[in-house]
Amino acid sequence: MKTDDPEITWVEEPELGLAGKMYLPMFAQGLTTTFKHLKNSVAGKTVTVSYPEQEPQIDAPLIYRGVHRLNKDEQGRVKCVACFLCATACPAHCIDIIGVESPWEDREKYPESFTIDELRCIYCGMCEEACPVDAIELTSLYNLTGRSREEMVFDKEKLLSVFDETKDREPMQSAGLGGSP
Amino acid sequence: MNLAGFLLAEGSEDAACAWCQSYPCLASLSCWGIVAGALGLLLMLPGGWKRGRYLGVLLGCAGLGLLAADLPWFGDLAHQVFFWLLAGTALVAAVIAISVRSPIYTAIWFAISLLGVAGLFLYQEAPFLGVVTIAVYAGAIVVTFLFVLMLAQPAGHTVYDRVSWGWLPKPFAVIAAAALTGLMTFAVASLPSTAPIPTADPIAGDTATSGAPDHMANLGNTLFGTHLVSVEVAGTLLLVALVGAIAIVIHGKQPQLPNQGVEGARNDE
Amino acid sequence: MTAIILEALIKIALLIGGLMTAAAYFVLLERRIAAWIQDRRGPNRVGMPLTKLRLFGLGQPLADGVKFIFKEEYTPAHVNKVLFVAAPILILAAALAAFAVIPFGSMIPPDWFGRTEPIKLVVAPGVDVGMIYVFALSSIAVYGVILGGWASNNKYSFLGGLRSSAQLIAYEVPLGLGILAVVVAAGSLDLEAIIHAQTTQGWCFLLQPLGFLVFVVAAFAEAARLPFDLPECEQELVGGYHTEYSGIKLLLFLVAEFLHMITASFLIVILFMGGWHLPWGLTGDPAAESIGWVPAIVRIVALAVKIIAVIVFFMVVRWSWPRFRFDQLMALAWKVMLPLGVVNFVVMATVEQFGGSLSTGVKMAIGWGTFVLSWVAIAAAGPLIADNRARHDLHPSQIDSQV
Repeated sequence: MKTDDPEITWVEEPELGLAGKMYLPMFAQGLTTTFKHLKNSVAGKTVTVSYPEQEPQIDAPLIYRGVHRLNKDEQGRVKCVACFLCATACPAHCIDIIGVESPWEDREKYPESFTIDELRCIYCGMCEEACPVDAIELTSLYNLTGRSREEMVFDKEKLLSVFDETKDREPMQSAGLGGSP
Repeated sequence: MNLAGFLLAEGSEDAACAWCQSYPCLASLSCWGIVAGALGLLLMLPGGWKRGRYLGVLLGCAGLGLLAADLPWFGDLAHQVFFWLLAGTALVAAVIAISVRSPIYTAIWFAISLLGVAGLFLYQEAPFLGVVTIAVYAGAIVVTFLFVLMLAQPAGHTVYDRVSWGWLPKPFAVIAAAALTGLMTFAVASLPSTAPIPTADPIAGDTATSGAPDHMANLGNTLFGTHLVSVEVAGTLLLVALVGAIAIVIHGKQPQLPNQGVEGARNDE
Repeated sequence: MTAIILEALIKIALLIGGLMTAAAYFVLLERRIAAWIQDRRGPNRVGMPLTKLRLFGLGQPLADGVKFIFKEEYTPAHVNKVLFVAAPILILAAALAAFAVIPFGSMIPPDWFGRTEPIKLVVAPGVDVGMIYVFALSSIAVYGVILGGWASNNKYSFLGGLRSSAQLIAYEVPLGLGILAVVVAAGSLDLEAIIHAQTTQGWCFLLQPLGFLVFVVAAFAEAARLPFDLPECEQELVGGYHTEYSGIKLLLFLVAEFLHMITASFLIVILFMGGWHLPWGLTGDPAAESIGWVPAIVRIVALAVKIIAVIVFFMVVRWSWPRFRFDQLMALAWKVMLPLGVVNFVVMATVEQFGGSLSTGVKMAIGWGTFVLSWVAIAAAGPLIADNRARHDLHPSQIDSQV
């Protein structure tokens, strides 16, 4: 698109008034704002927290993208049907699923193994969106640490234990965000 | 007390050479010091015989020593050391300034030389002149030189550098410098022989306090009273030069082509 | 003689130790203030070494210093080694040497060694050209910047050095014009004499607001603080003239920058805010030759408080104002500050010459009237350099010629 394209609307900045031209009033205005923040911060109203002593408040845990979990259904079985949609959607190729024939009536397959490399993951949430049965979800656990690379590759048991750990705090998003249970 | 006079006192009686008596200046050490310094300078200038530079340094040192021997002795070792440190800094830095190849180093050595001169001013109880030399010369003018040199000559040397290092200009420049130094030396030496011995003690920091307010008031009165016209003329000259420089800059602009309007500019982008 | 040298050495040791510590803690203060203004907390962890005491992060400067000293001091292969090493030394030496004539307090009583004269708290007392000496040393500091930039043999460093030399030379003119009227009013270039003159005439920033403004703006530019930190603006020039520096050489540059700011604060307080004096005679009789311990300490504290206030202002301004573009910077120096400085000087010199009998109130009215009138006039005459908009009506070559 060229700059003289008729579809472009050129918006002119408004002319400066005398206060703007004189600069000092504007300066006083800016200084007032700065001092207001300075005063508030000295009074203790900062937006940051002293992390190790003070846990940050996550405002919307349901849409926060932290550590993954594999959801369980009412009978305690893994919800996943091993459809590979999450692994296909994953831009970082961090999900590895081995699907086998399901022992249960209501689905054809289930994952014999389900591993996520948390170090490769970019926490984009595409797996969560791709999942047709709301089996994989991202929790609000943000402080993910480990001592080795192997430790950071989460297998099915680990992912299910994340669900057990967080299910009380964070209901399944399909329920929480108004989807089908 | 004159060291040279002391040394020559024995030989002066049987100074056989007749032209030494008709031209008494030739008998003084300063004269030969200046000649040696000039020869050394000629050899030290860039663009010449490479090994000759060492000889030039030697000759220069010899010339400096001869000049030093001819100067009055202050009598106080501390004063002597201070004076020669400052004067030596100024002189040596000045010589290096014209004998190095890189114009950047020339400017830096010139600034160091100016620091030496400023120190001499302070030493002579002229703190205003000393400090102003640093502020104006070293602080503003040489920095502007550096600015221009860094912009203008990123690499290599220009035609005018090579011209000034040629076989013809070098001797003339050196002769001019030697003649100027010699004339000034003998003009100063022919003044009434009250050696300018500093009275205040430079270490104690008293130089600035001793009668200093009068010093600055006197300077102001001299500049803007006695020499008012000269100061004004010099100021006008600088103003004219400034206006001329701006005029040259404006004149040198490329005239704008008629078909390169605003629209053309936008299309080009 | 020995006593004089000893006294000077003790003062120098106190001054350099105090300045280095002050510079280190001002770095901490700057970081804390920056954090507060941005609604953060700032460095508050490092406390006393080997203990768990945090002390509001007061150990941070120590940690920073140790970090700088133990970092690898890398000298790139492509630099001009001599100048590369000389530049930081030169800039720090010049910044420290400027304090030789700057008083860090009035004087203290002569209670030691049977002295009879009070001890003046300045390394070189009674230097008649003190003001110009500070100027000379601050102009020597330009060498450190420009040579460091050139010796680094790096285009960012080089551009930083060029910008800085142009900026510092340009702003030396309004800096000098700003103090000219103060010097005329005080009748001396000695900093103590200027302080003393203000006790009788009134503080100069009330009498000469225009000169104060010109001086403060120029002082910001000379100290290369925001909004005039073009020599080292990170967004354009990486680190400016100290891009290639690391380790203790970088530390020397950074300390020198802070020292420039401290020098500027000292000058602002001494020249325009009455130095160590407070109104209503809180700091003792200014004309008295001797002094007791109480007023001596009150004076030192008053000076320190004023200087810290000015430095906090420096730091707050840093986060209140965007950086100028280089052409705006130059336009501000030559088209705004230079004429304003001349106007201030002419008016104040006229008042000084013919208005000796005027009361302080009338003088103050003249000063503020000049300030408002000339500021409005210069704002109306052309947009101050605040106007950032692109000039669509001009061809780029024409814009170049206007710059």
